[in-house]
Amino acid sequence: MKKFLNISLASLVTLAALSLSSCSNEVDDIFDEDAVTRLDRAKAEYTDILTSDGGKWQLEYYANDEEPGYIYLMTFSKDGSVTIAGNNKWINYVKSGSMNTPAFGSEVSMWEVIADNGPVLSFNTYNKYFHLFADPYDIPSAGSAQTDQDVNENGYGHEGDYEFDIMKYSGDTLYLTGKKYNLNMIMTRVASTVDDEMYMNEVVAMADSFFNSKIPQVYINLPNGQRWIVKEGASSILKMFREGDDEISTAEYHNVIITHDGLSFMDAQTLDGYVIKNFIRQADGSLLCRDDNQTTMTADELGTIFTDIHNTWRADPAGAGGQFASLFAAIAEELKAYNKSTLNYAQIVYNENTSVYELSFNIKKGSVRYNPTYYLTLTSMSDEQVSYSVAPQGDRYGETYAANCPSIRAFADAMGAVAYDLSANSLLSPVNMKLTQSGNAANYVVWNLQ
Amino acid sequence: MKKIQYYISALLLVAVAAMSLSSCSGDKLGPTIFPDVDETLDPNSYSYKLDKFLKENYLDKYNLTFLYKMPDISTNMNYNLVPAEYNNSVDLAVLCKHLWFDVYDKVAGEDFLKTYGPRIILLIGSPAINPTSGSETVGLAEGGIKISLFKVNSMNISNFQQMNDLYFHTMHHEFAHILHQTKTYPSEFNTISVGRYDPNNWQYRGDEVTSLGFVTGYASSEYREDFAETIACFIVYTDAQWDRMLELASRGWATSASDDDLDAVYYSYYYYPENDAEQDLVYLEERYVVTETDEDGTVHKYYRNNRDKNGNRIVVYDVEDKDGIDGSAAILQKVQIAREWFRTAWSIDLDALREEVQTRQATYDINELRKMVYDIQ
Repeated sequence: MKKFLNISLASLVTLAALSLSSCSNEVDDIFDEDAVTRLDRAKAEYTDILTSDGGKWQLEYYANDEEPGYIYLMTFSKDGSVTIAGNNKWINYVKSGSMNTPAFGSEVSMWEVIADNGPVLSFNTYNKYFHLFADPYDIPSAGSAQTDQDVNENGYGHEGDYEFDIMKYSGDTLYLTGKKYNLNMIMTRVASTVDDEMYMNEVVAMADSFFNSKIPQVYINLPNGQRWIVKEGASSILKMFREGDDEISTAEYHNVIITHDGLSFMDAQTLDGYVIKNFIRQADGSLLCRDDNQTTMTADELGTIFTDIHNTWRADPAGAGGQFASLFAAIAEELKAYNKSTLNYAQIVYNENTSVYELSFNIKKGSVRYNPTYYLTLTSMSDEQVSYSVAPQGDRYGETYAANCPSIRAFADAMGAVAYDLSANSLLSPVNMKLTQSGNAANYVVWNLQ
Repeated sequence: MKKIQYYISALLLVAVAAMSLSSCSGDKLGPTIFPDVDETLDPNSYSYKLDKFLKENYLDKYNLTFLYKMPDISTNMNYNLVPAEYNNSVDLAVLCKHLWFDVYDKVAGEDFLKTYGPRIILLIGSPAINPTSGSETVGLAEGGIKISLFKVNSMNISNFQQMNDLYFHTMHHEFAHILHQTKTYPSEFNTISVGRYDPNNWQYRGDEVTSLGFVTGYASSEYREDFAETIACFIVYTDAQWDRMLELASRGWATSASDDDLDAVYYSYYYYPENDAEQDLVYLEERYVVTETDEDGTVHKYYRNNRDKNGNRIVVYDVEDKDGIDGSAAILQKVQIAREWFRTAWSIDLDALREEVQTRQATYDINELRKMVYDIQ
C-alpha cells in the first residue's frame, strides 16, 4: 500500500504540474478581446479614417529601393472605390508609349482594408496608373520598349507592392509597409478640395525647380560647415559624397521622392552625424531640412556659378531693366539704321584659349550672323557679387559695330563700370541669374544659363 | 484502513485529473476568421452589380466563388502578379457563363457543373511569368477545386482568337483536368504518342509538333496536358482552325538547323535556286508559296513573285514526311478516345458540346451579355 501511496503522490505532483502548465500560452492577460474582434475593429477604424474628411490622401510610393519615389493622390470612397491620380513618366508610358516627360493619369479602381496578420490596405482591382509598378513585365529603360537594351526584368517588373500592412496612424499620417517587399511608406491626408491634376502638376513643377542638368552638382550644407556634393539630382537618385573625398570610391546613390512641398529621402541619411530625411522648399528656392531645421541644399555660391568657366549666359531685352533696357532698345534702333540687322541676344562665355570672358552680341542680318565681341576681365568675385573690367578694344566686328552702333559698346562698358549684385530664381537651381548694379537696383540684366 | 487510503488516493487522482482537464474551460472561441459568405451585398457598393451577378449565377447556382478582387493569399507568392481590371472581370464573368457554364448546363444537365465544376474561379490580371525560363502560365487548375485565369488585363474583347487562346481554351483545358482527375481516362490515350513527349522543351516546338500527333506544343509536354489540350482545342477551334491544324499535321517538316537546336525553325516547303536541282535546296515559309491546280487536277506550287534567271517560275516542293507518324490520324484517334470517354464516363456528347460552343462563340454579342450585370438594379 505504501508503494501505491508513493505512486499516487508522484502522479498527483505530475498532474498538478501539468495542470499548471497547460495554459501557459493564455493571452487573456494581454488583450481584453480575441484577435478576430480586434482585427474587425481595426478594419472598421482604418476604413473610417481613410474615408473621412473627403477621403483624399497623398501616398509617397516607392516601388523598390533603386528607383525614385512617386507621389500618388488617392481619394477613398465608402462604396469601395478609390480614385488614384499620379503624374510621372511611367504613366506617360502607359498612355503614350513614351516616357520622355511625365504625364498625368487618373483612374478609378477598388480598395479594401482586409485582415491578414494585421490590418492591410489592399488595392484589389487593377488600376493601370498605379499597379503598373507591380506588373511583371520588362521595364523599358528609355523612350520605348524597342530601345530597352538593358536587363530583362520579365517576371519581375518594378516589384512594387499594392498591398500595405498598416503599421500605425498618427497625426493624419498612416505609416505603411509594403506587404510583399517590405518598403516603408507614408500616407498623409490632403484637403478634399484639392484638385488632383493641379496638385500633381504642382508636384512635377516642384521637381523641375529642384534640379537642372545645367547645374551639374549641388550641395548639402551641414550645420558644421561641411558640404556633401550631390550629383545627378534630376534622376531623383542622388549621387552623394563628402566634399573633399574621392568621388569614385566614396559616392553612394540614394533615391528620393519629390513631394508637393519639398523632397524626402527614402531612408534617413546620416552625414557627419547629422540625420537628414525630409526637406522643405524655401522661398529662395533652396531646400531646408525639416528634421534639424539647419541643414540646407543649395547650388554653389552664385558668384562661383556665374563665373564658372564652363557656363554660357545669355540675355535679351525682355530680362533687362533701367539703363540696360534703354541700351537694348538703342541697339535695336542703331542696328536697323546701320544695316537692317537685328539683335538675337547678348552672351557671356569664357574663352579657354585666351583665358578671358567674352561679351558678344549675336546679330542676325539675313541668313548671316555676326558676333561683335568685347573682352571682360574678372576683377573681383564674392558669393553674391561680381565685377569686371572691359578691354578698350573688341575684336574686328566689335570695333566695326562699336563705330556704327555705339550703344553696343556702351553696353559692354556698362558691364565694366561697376560691381554687380547677384541674385537668382532659385538657390538650388540658379539658371536665371540677375545682375543688378550695386547701388542702383533699377539697372539690371537677367542672364540665362545655357 | 488500507481500503480507505486507497479510496482517498484514487479520489485525489481523479480530482487533480479533472482540474487539469478543466483548466482551459474558460477559453473563448471567437467567430471564424474567414469571411462570412452570407454577407449581405451592399447596394451602395461600387461593385454591387457584379457581386450580385456572381452571387446569383455562380455562388447560389454552383456553390462557386468567382474571385475578381485579388486575394493574394490564394496565389503563388513566388510570382509577381497583379489584380484583374474590374471591367474586364465583368466581361469574363458573363462570358464564362455564356460559353462554359450555360453550355454544360444545356448539354450535360444543370447538375453536372454543380457536381463536378470547380469551386473557385480566380481572375488574375497578369500572367505568371517564370523569369528563368520566360514561360508564362495563363491557366491553372488545382485539385479539381480552383481554376485560375491569368492575363485578364491583356484581354481584347474584339479579338476572339486571343480570347479563345487565353480564356475559353484555358477554361475547357482546365476543366478537362478536373474531369479526368475525377474519372481517369483510358490509358490507351497515353500509348498513342509515347516517346514523343518533351516536358522540358515543349515551349520551343512550333507548328511542326502537329506532325507528331499533338494539337499544340503544350500538348507535347506530357500525357495529361495532351489529353486536356486535345479536348480544349477540339471544343474551341473553329472548323477552319481545326482543319488547318490537321492539314499541318499531315505535312512533312524539316529544318536546316540541327535538330538539337531549340530555336530551330521548321519548314514544310523547299525549292532549288534557279530551279537547279544540283544546287542545295532552300527551305521556304508557307506564306511565300502559291498553289495552282491544273484542269486535270494536278497541283503545282511556286515561289510567290520569284523567277529564275530564265524568267521561269521557281517550283516549290513539299518536304517529305519522314517521321513515320500520321500526325492527323494520331490527333483524330485521341479525339475519338476523348469522345468515348465523355460518353461513357460522363454521358456527354462531346460533339454536341463542341457544336454548342461553336454556335455561341460565333454569335454572342458582348454588349448584350454585359447587360446581365449592368442592368441589375
